[in-house]
This record gives sequence, C-alpha cells and structure tokens, in this order.
Amino acid sequence: MSDIAEWVSSPHELREALDRSDYLADEGMSVALFCAARLPQPLLLEGEPGVGKTEAAKALAAALDTPLIRLQCYEGIDAAEALYEWNFPRQLLAIKVSETAHEHLREEDLFRRDYLLARPLLQAVEHPGPRPAVLLIDEIDRADDEFEAFLLELLAEGSVTIPEIGTVRATHRPVVILTSNRTRDLHDALKRRCLYHWIDYPDVARTTDIVRRRVPQASTPLVESVAAAVARLRTLEVQKPPGVAEAINWVLALDLLGLPALDPQAVETTLGSVLKYREDLELAMSRGPDWLAGP
Amino acid sequence: MTGAVGTRPPDLAALAGHFATLLHAAGVPVTPERAGRLAATMAMTAPATVSELYWLGRVTLVADHGSIPVYDAVFASVFEGLVDPADFRGDSPPPPPSVRRGETRPPPRGDNPPVSAPMPSPAGAAGDGEEGSSEEDTVQAASSADERLRHEDFARLSPEELAQLGRLRIVAPQRLSRRQVRNRRGTDLDVRASLRRARRTGGEPLSPVVRKRRHRPRRVVLICDISGSMERYSRAYLQLLWNGVSESRAEAFVFATRLTRLTRALTRANPDRALEKAGRLAPDWHGGTRIGEAIAAFNDQHGRRGLARGAVILILSDGWDTGDAQVLAREMQRLRRLAYRIVWVNPRKAADGYRPLVAGMAAALPYVDAFVSGHSLAALDEVLEAIAS
Repeated sequence: MSDIAEWVSSPHELREALDRSDYLADEGMSVALFCAARLPQPLLLEGEPGVGKTEAAKALAAALDTPLIRLQCYEGIDAAEALYEWNFPRQLLAIKVSETAHEHLREEDLFRRDYLLARPLLQAVEHPGPRPAVLLIDEIDRADDEFEAFLLELLAEGSVTIPEIGTVRATHRPVVILTSNRTRDLHDALKRRCLYHWIDYPDVARTTDIVRRRVPQASTPLVESVAAAVARLRTLEVQKPPGVAEAINWVLALDLLGLPALDPQAVETTLGSVLKYREDLELAMSRGPDWLAGP
Repeated sequence: MTGAVGTRPPDLAALAGHFATLLHAAGVPVTPERAGRLAATMAMTAPATVSELYWLGRVTLVADHGSIPVYDAVFASVFEGLVDPADFRGDSPPPPPSVRRGETRPPPRGDNPPVSAPMPSPAGAAGDGEEGSSEEDTVQAASSADERLRHEDFARLSPEELAQLGRLRIVAPQRLSRRQVRNRRGTDLDVRASLRRARRTGGEPLSPVVRKRRHRPRRVVLICDISGSMERYSRAYLQLLWNGVSESRAEAFVFATRLTRLTRALTRANPDRALEKAGRLAPDWHGGTRIGEAIAAFNDQHGRRGLARGAVILILSDGWDTGDAQVLAREMQRLRRLAYRIVWVNPRKAADGYRPLVAGMAAALPYVDAFVSGHSLAALDEVLEAIAS
C-alpha cells in the first residue's frame, strides 16, 4: 500500500496525474478518486450519460500506470462470466490423458488453479502489482439485482471465494469504480460499501478545456462556440441533453467537414451529431440556427 | 500538505463525527462506517481548502444523488456565511425543467358539468366537476345487493374492504430473459453442466445438458394521480401501489403538481407505516393536476434511463389536467415508444354515459392500450387482467 500512497499522495497531485493522462478532473472528481484509491473503497459514480463516468476509470488506470479491467454488466450476467469458470475442455483432456497413460487421477488434481479461467473480477483480485489494478464495473444497474450479491465479497474484502480452492485474497486490493445510470435502485448493501460521487455537467469553460484536450487540432474559438451552444441546448427541454461526449463529437464532425466556425449553416449540417431524437432536432431548429450558433 | 482548516490541527475524528451527526439529524442516513471513512481520508490528506473538505465529506458521507441538497445545506450551515456550496460545484445546470414548484392550482370545482350529464359537453371545456352523486347512483343501481360490496365505490371504503384490497396481486406479463435454465426441451448446450456430467461417464459426454431461456415478469410501473379530484380514490389506490411494490417489485410514483417516486417509501412491511411515510414524501396531496408535466418528469428522469423500457405502465388518473393537453399528448407518445403496454385506470369511466371529453383524457387515449375503470374491487379485477394480458 505504501506504493500507492506515493503515487497518490493528495487529491491535488492525483488531479495533476489525471491531467497528464488528458483527463481534466474537477476538484470533486479528484477527491472522489483519491478516496477510492487510498482508503481503498469502491466508488459508485452516477451522473447523466456523457459526463465521463467511464472515462474517469480509464484515466485513473492511466494515471496509476496499471491495467484497467472492465466488466460491462448486462441482464443475465452471472458468476461464470464475471468471477471465474472452470476450464472444462482442459479438465476433460486431462482425464483422457490420464486414462491413456493408465494413471490414477484424483479429483483435487482437476480443481487446481491451472484449470480455472479468471474472469474480470478474479483477474483484478489476482493482479500481481506493483500497484492495484483499476476494476471498472460498468452500468451495474443493467445487471439483475441478484448479481449485486456476487460483488459484495469483492467490494468489502477485496477477495473472491472459490469453493473448490478457497478464498483468493488480493495482494493489492483493486481500485473499484462502479457506474450506474440509475435505471433502478441499487441495494443498500451495495451502496453501504461504496463511496459516492455524482457528476454534474461541466460548465462552458471546463467543457472547452476538455474538448480542446480531446480534439487538439480544432481551433479554440470553434471549441468555445460549441461548448456554449451545447450549454444553450441543455436549457431547452430536450429529451436527451447533450453531454461532454456530444460536444466532442460535434467538434470532431465540424473539424472533419473542414468547417472553421459554428455559423448557422454549419449548425444545420452537423446538429445530428449532438441531438439524437427527431423531436429534439425540431425543437432546437425551431429556436433557429442563429440562436444555436450564438453571437 | 500544510495549513489545514483553521490554524491549529483540529480533532479530525471529532469533526467528522460532529458533521455526520448533523447530517444524520437533517435526514441523510449516515452510518458510523461512513463517518469513519471521512476521518480516515482527512487523516490521509489534511484538507487544504474548505472546498476540499466539502468534497471529502460529500464523497464519503452521501450515498445518493437525492441527499446532495441536504448535504449542501448542512455544510453551508456549519460554515455559515463563509461558503456557498454552489461555488464548489461550478456552474450547476438549471433544475430539471419538469420539476416546477409553487404553482399549486386548486382542483377545479363546480364550474363544469359532470360527465355523466345526459348532454355531452364540448371537448376541451368538458369534464367532471363536483363529486357527481348521480355517478355513484348509477354504479350502485347497476349492481345486485349481494354484489354491493364488490362494487362499492372506493369513495366509501371500510377497513374490511381495504384489507380485501390488500390481498390483490399484480401479475405482470412475461418476457424472455437472457438468463437460461436447464430444460430438457431446450436448444442451447450447457457446456459446463454437460462436461461435469461427462466426468461420471469417464469423460464421454453421453447425455448432453441443454438449457432454455427463462421467462421473467416484466417490470410494472404504477403512476398514481393524488390530486384533489382523485381524493376519494387515493387511499385505495395507494394500497394497490403498496401491493405492487411489496409483492411484485413494481415501481411506484404519485403526482399532483409534481412527480414523487414512492418505491422506496413503500418498501416496508407495514402498509400503514409505508403509506404514512409516502404521505410525508409527496408534498402535493390533493393539489391541482399537471399530468402532462408529471409524465414528462417521469420520462425524463426515469423512463428514458430504462425504467419504462419494456415495462407495463399503469396510470391511475381521472385525466383531469389543469396543464396543457398538448404536453400530455406529446409525453404519452414518448412513453408509448418506451413501454410495452400502457393501461389507464380512470375511476370516472364507470359512470353511465361517460365519454373521455376532458381535454387531458382525450389527448392521452390514443396512446393507451387498455382503458379501464377500476373504481371498485370488482373493477380492479379488470385492471389486473389488463396488466397481465
């Protein structure tokens, strides 16, 4: 643990490290990631889609120079896909080989670590170091609620128990980041084990900074006008308010088309990269491309 | 890091404990475990600024988005006059447009003819007004004496009937799940189980194990109108909400002028306590109705995220909307695209000669799969049928 304490000595230093891996964290985010890495305690990230929940985990892994192990949740995901699975073909092969060689094969021989396939959660626990792996459990709300129970041991103890082998304890407890889109309430048991951070939409200045990092070839005035336009769009009652990801896509589209500024003409041709519902597009266009393009 | 808050090093554990206590008193459930985490982080990095302290506290003590305003208020009161938490959060976005407060219109009364009147009123201005006694009469006249109880309008409900109501079960229709179960007639090979079985036969997979996708009940979302015009039905319908949440894992919402999610409040063993809690949570009991805005809030904050996708939506309302009917039509159309099925329960439908002339109801009807009355116990069977079909 001393090593991670050196790498992440204060929220401020972590913020600079994240900055070096091109993720502009605000103070709240750097404090949250600092606590998650140092306590260590799983961190539950919530926020509107497109505010950079997944990016935060990627950036933390880059800043710590450790692998990012990602588990995308979906309905029906189970322990065999998230924790571990026995390598049955290999076990069968071992049985066959021992038969042909007329050897006696004991049951225990078939349930050794060599016959175990590590899935993301076990991989994260077994990561050899020197620093802990970053484990991203993405969109936990998509998994069935029973699945949350599989996570509790990992979240609380940093270990995974395999009945045939025993408990695998992490030498470097993984830094766990969970994200949720709040399609359903998570269990209290899960929440209790987590730190919590809600990510707001960044303001215009921060959006500008973030987009400039991601699309360095775009001119600053263009990025600024896009950031301001995205903020204006959010004041409309659109169904899907655009986030940072949409701002980046918009600038990329404008850049690809070689449009140097966000004029009404450019807005009309590229608005589809920001608003993804027909109703939203109609609503925005009813305000007029001039309003969107800004002064 | 040097220069913590104040000039001399404060007792961090005491500070964390004190702050957690204040927060707990303000209604945010802070466990000692969380307070301990705050003290631990403060020991690791003495907060250099008030804003850093704000974030350390928020990340460690708060467990959900809804508690953040309370946290902000408590934090501001501790550092009274010194800070405004809004500064730390940067330019926070404007509150969701659909949550509008302060505009509680009184329920419309008197100035409209009742729907059960022989002459239909022109659409838009039409609707039911003062508790149409003629309506109750028609309902009762239509039922035989021994059926009286089952057809009794919820407006006059005895404790016995409420108990009967409490036994109703919402059964949701099924959908195919991604999860599989072992099934002899399945088509997908379960490699893991087949090979495990093969070990019994010397590694020869003689009898393969097959699986089939399992069926799971669809999510049920109950959205109940608790405005003034629905007052006499709300007790009974809340009981239905409680049944749904506690027995069928449904999601429950109520609205009059604003939408309130009641699922958590209703997840309690004792329905009376749950209903009492629910009553405190929703500030707009018996207020005016803004169905369009309420459905919009539901779509924006919950439906679009996935709560309504493939779900059965049950809306319990008389369609009395003091808001814009066009908003309601637009939002119902959005909901229609998300949901599997929309059932609208309107207790006034039971009245003889009822026609959906209230502007709101007329606007919503094209997007509704089933339109049922649900004004009495017998009629609720019809509601349950409409959900299950």
